[in-house]
Amino acid sequence: MAEVGDVRKAFRHVGKPVPRVDAPAKVTGRTIYGDDLKLPRMLHVKLVHAPVAHARIKGIDASKALAVPGVEAVITAQDLPPHRYDPDNRTRVLLARDEVLFYGQPVAAVLARDPYTSAYARDLVEVQYEELPPVLDPLEALRPDAPLARGSVQALEEGEVGGHITVEGAEARKEEGPRNVASTITFKRGDVEQGFKEAAAVVEGTWRTPMAHQSYIEPHVIVADYDSTGRLSIWSSTQAPFHVRNEVAKTLGLPETRVRVISTEVGGGFGGKIYLYEALVGALAMTLQRPVKLTMSRKEDMLAATPAPNCIVQLKMGMKADGTLSALKARVIFDTGAFPGAPLLPGCLLIGGFYKCPNLEIEGLEVFTNKVSVGALRAPGAHNVAFALESALDMLARRLELDPMEVRLKNAVEKGDPLPSGQPYPAIGLKECLEAVAKSQLWQRRHEIRAHPNRGVGLAVGGWLGGLQPASATVTLNADGTVNALVGAADITGTNTAFAQIVAEVLNLPLEMVRVTTGDTDSAPYAGMSAGSKVTFTVGRAVKLAAEDAKEQILRIASQRLEAPPEELELVDGVVRVRGREDKQLTFRELGRWSTAFGGRYPPIVGRGAVAPRLQAPSFSAQAVEVEVDPNTGQVQVLSWVVAQDVGFAINPMAVEGQMQGGSTQGLGLALFEEMAYDEQGRLLNPNLLDYRLPTTADVPPIETIIVEVPSEDGPYGARIVGEPSIVPGPAAVANAVADAIGARVFQAPLTPEKILHALGKIKD
Amino acid sequence: MRPFSYFIPASLQEALAIFQREGEGGRPIAGGTDLVVQLKEGGHKFPYPRYLVSVRRLPELRRLEWVEGEGLRLGAAVTMAEIEASPIVRERYLALAEGARVVGSRQTANMATVGGNLCNAAPSADTAPPLLVLGAKARILGPRGERLLPLEEFFLGPGRTVLEHGEVLVEVLLPPPLPRSASAYRRHTPRQCMDIAVVGVAAFLALDEAGEKIAEARIALGAVAPTPIRAHRAEALLVGRPASPEVLGEAALMAREEASPISDVRGSAQFRRYLVGVMTEAVLEEALSRARGR
Amino acid sequence: MPKQLIRLVVNGEGHEVAVEPWWSLLHVVREVIGLTGSKEGCGTGDCGACSMIVNGRLVTSCIFLALEADGAQVTTIEGIGGDKGLHPIQQAFVEEGAVQCGYCIPGMIVAAYDLLRQNPRPTLEEIRYALAGNLCRCTGYTKIYQAVLRAAEMMGG
Ligand SMILES: Cc1cc2nc3c(=O)[nH]c(=O)nc-3n(C[C@H](O)[C@H](O)[C@H](O)COP(=O)(O)OP(=O)(O)OC[C@H]3O[C@@H](n4cnc5c(N)ncnc54)[C@H](O)[C@@H]3O)c2cc1C
Ligand code: FES
Ligand code: FES
Repeated sequence: MAEVGDVRKAFRHVGKPVPRVDAPAKVTGRTIYGDDLKLPRMLHVKLVHAPVAHARIKGIDASKALAVPGVEAVITAQDLPPHRYDPDNRTRVLLARDEVLFYGQPVAAVLARDPYTSAYARDLVEVQYEELPPVLDPLEALRPDAPLARGSVQALEEGEVGGHITVEGAEARKEEGPRNVASTITFKRGDVEQGFKEAAAVVEGTWRTPMAHQSYIEPHVIVADYDSTGRLSIWSSTQAPFHVRNEVAKTLGLPETRVRVISTEVGGGFGGKIYLYEALVGALAMTLQRPVKLTMSRKEDMLAATPAPNCIVQLKMGMKADGTLSALKARVIFDTGAFPGAPLLPGCLLIGGFYKCPNLEIEGLEVFTNKVSVGALRAPGAHNVAFALESALDMLARRLELDPMEVRLKNAVEKGDPLPSGQPYPAIGLKECLEAVAKSQLWQRRHEIRAHPNRGVGLAVGGWLGGLQPASATVTLNADGTVNALVGAADITGTNTAFAQIVAEVLNLPLEMVRVTTGDTDSAPYAGMSAGSKVTFTVGRAVKLAAEDAKEQILRIASQRLEAPPEELELVDGVVRVRGREDKQLTFRELGRWSTAFGGRYPPIVGRGAVAPRLQAPSFSAQAVEVEVDPNTGQVQVLSWVVAQDVGFAINPMAVEGQMQGGSTQGLGLALFEEMAYDEQGRLLNPNLLDYRLPTTADVPPIETIIVEVPSEDGPYGARIVGEPSIVPGPAAVANAVADAIGARVFQAPLTPEKILHALGKIKD
Repeated sequence: MRPFSYFIPASLQEALAIFQREGEGGRPIAGGTDLVVQLKEGGHKFPYPRYLVSVRRLPELRRLEWVEGEGLRLGAAVTMAEIEASPIVRERYLALAEGARVVGSRQTANMATVGGNLCNAAPSADTAPPLLVLGAKARILGPRGERLLPLEEFFLGPGRTVLEHGEVLVEVLLPPPLPRSASAYRRHTPRQCMDIAVVGVAAFLALDEAGEKIAEARIALGAVAPTPIRAHRAEALLVGRPASPEVLGEAALMAREEASPISDVRGSAQFRRYLVGVMTEAVLEEALSRARGR
Repeated sequence: MPKQLIRLVVNGEGHEVAVEPWWSLLHVVREVIGLTGSKEGCGTGDCGACSMIVNGRLVTSCIFLALEADGAQVTTIEGIGGDKGLHPIQQAFVEEGAVQCGYCIPGMIVAAYDLLRQNPRPTLEEIRYALAGNLCRCTGYTKIYQAVLRAAEMMGG
């Protein structure tokens, strides 16, 4: 933290580690999550999930389900109220109409008085399917003679990826043409063929990363209530309440004033809880005129939420003898499942966005298959391409006998370097992250580690550009002198704690005097989705402005009352006083009373802040990993892990470390375990947390964090995005460590023992 | 879950009487860690039961006692946590303690029973290979009285055992360990724990009086055949031969041949076969070094 | 069959509940008794979010049938601390920053509580082995290890 250590000293709250304000409620089990909600007369819905990947629906017989005592209704697509159906948009196909496009797609809804009854009756709904050939492999899907996974796609409206990343100068193109292509994208710079000619070494390979599930521990939960005034209220564990409101309103044909979204505590999202079944549950509540609750089971969530895509990267890279990259040619294929929405744009930008490279050619393809449609997973698309890029870089370094750290430092992007789109980077700290890792104990010990048989150290980097979305906030003074801040962003990563720190900092208050609330969409000032790592960066700025606005209002009144110019006033712990004059002061409590009580002389103090940031604050992470590989069984054990990340300025270092450790661990999971496995019929084989393996405590060593702070130009106190980058390097770092340990290169994540034994030549197909 | 009835008898006799009275469609339930999950999510290899009879607290199934001259009586409803914590098991039947230790999490181990593990008949059941090499016999009680079977004869296929309707596995009997003998169990899983065996291997070795030749050998393999199996031919290669690395290696190669694995989501057939080789060798070495230590 | 009546003591308080045979203990505690601190993350015993202590043993209550809890003493997160201040484990989780979304946390703390009862001064390795049945997707576990180590110290183990 050397760079801004002095700046940090100037602050009272920001920059200090603070336990989350919501932690006491969480450790005692008091926090209310969506599944804890109960409304009078509430019905529990279970969805009938198609047991086939591709089929025509011939008929649905619900009579047996309806005969179960306690079942109130079975709703199919035909029974839904009129709404805006759109076959190209997953969220507007509330229930499958005629055609099932993926295994697990909801085709009907069973509503009953308790969840056990709805689950039981759900299994009694009989659906007749005429099976169609499923398209499952994205490369097969591209062949000119491949069957079609689905009908063609008209338009991609405000995709979710837009919320995660904001890019100027590039638009995903839609194309008619080859089979099953949803969209394509290309970036070109310089002359790659020339670049390869200049190279002293060229590597080429195909890297694969499978579909992965966000695996938040709280599955999706939604409660909807349509009241007698015609207002639809939706409680959802969404990361994006305003987005949900707008989409539900559009889909169900209601004005936004008649839809209220209350974001319940999010039990983990990681990009997977943006918007999915809210309109459906809303429509069911409207149809039945009763509150309806959908709590997905783990299996249902794994079958029919929005996991991260399978990705194939064909990459060729050339490096000069001195270690500078001369050419990069990539073909990036994302399997988007049955509906569009894969992170093609960020994937294609980032594969050419970590390193300077004068010549590049990047082609991206988003391909339809008959699998569940995909969504975002923490830095969507980034880990997939980083796996290829960072592996290839290590291979080049090895080929040219260069140090992997040196090679990265040499080529790392800096301020002003262009992304593949041409857009230049603002101030960034990739080099600083690498330097921080280079100084870490782990990296320093690496030669020692290598001396052990079967141990190795791997290095990789990753970054995320960050999203931009307008945001606003208010800060108000209460009658007792305490302060409330109201925001519209769901607090997932501890952002409300950071906002409290910001307000307390601006008003120079003890933290306990500030309360930050996430309001519902009726009451809260607008905020974009809690995705793209941008909440602190965007909403935090709005909060700061709002606090400053409130401060100005406070000073204005105080200046009148104390008969002193505002410049001579200071705020200390809820007291406004004239500097150096202990006798001339008034308290926030007095101000609060005067501005709220009967006959009060002053208008209430309401600070407002609203921003529409245009400049991103990308964040990079560099990570080093020590592994031990059992050459007999192929088992990998991670022994140590260090993560450095440039966060600009750590408003709450404790929360920042938690993000870095959480993201790194997800990277570890993607590297070693996580994979949604499908059979030849497109059926998911592992829809549970025993076979879809998340890392457990036994798999994850303590993770060392190094916070790097290269201030952003535009963020509050120089803060930049934090949440996403730390997931990105994991798979490549582990693959590089495994290669370092046993000399075997694995091109396919997760690096299972079986694949490692293959790479070692110990087993063959 | 579909509706079912549930009985909690106080004695084994009462449990058997319930099966008689209620007729077909009943099933014992012990810890429920397999059965409840299967009833929730599917995956059971039998018709959905009409009723369940809880056996987890039946005194006859809760015994864990050493009987001098006879060996260990291990009640079917003894939990994995209890097995792992038992000094007798640790001292005399270490492979079993090693098998019980890896079952699920601490939470799972507190509920899961050894009887449930065997009766669920997963090829990957972690107590099956240890019990097979330890020479276990299964004591079964049912409408037609008592049966005592070598455990080898107990399993018929994935999810299938010799148990007929109304029969309950009461206990398994383990003979006292031979002098200069030891056992070991290891499994392969991608995660360090909380995982299902891709391959499990147990071995039991007894040395002759000189401590040089192998007097008796048993090898059992999990998750590489429709049931947990003994590797008889590999065992035969060991008996009477010197306890050398080469001999153990030969047996391991033979065990590989005896496995008939399938490919599934947890691993391919060739991967499993390969693992049988390397793991059998390692487990035999472990058992040997333990036996030598005695 | 009509529902069957069971009696159980949850966090020291007696309850009489009519249950269906297929109801889990988790369902009864959350939906009937109304203690919603325990969470369902998977419903199949794989994540530990529903962890409770039943008659002195840590279990995953989502696959523990309620009927089997007849006559049982049950401890849930609500019984560990809250009303009269935080338990040292809870305190340590707060102070170490071991809580993010919080969904895994009640089960994690119940499991940590059970561990420290049996092993008051666990090593890092023992903690990592003992908590493997409790998945957390947010924290990456490091701060949880620190919190448990710190709690052990606070409790004078
Ligand atoms: C999270 C998790 C992790 C797991 N990990 C492992 C693992 O690592 N290794 C492993 O081997 N297993 C594992 N399992 C599976 C399971 O825990 C074990 O197989 C366990 O031993 C089953 O015992 P139970 O008492 O719970 O059986 P139950 O579920 O009660 O019964 C299982 C089957 O046996 C029958 N049965 C039970 N007792 C008797 C009896 N006395 N007589 C006749 N029939 C009977 C039942 O009818 C049922 O068909 C795991 C399960 C979970 C939920
Ligand atoms: S909810 Fe019980 S273990 Fe996951
Ligand atoms: S804090 Fe979110 S799952 Fe653990």
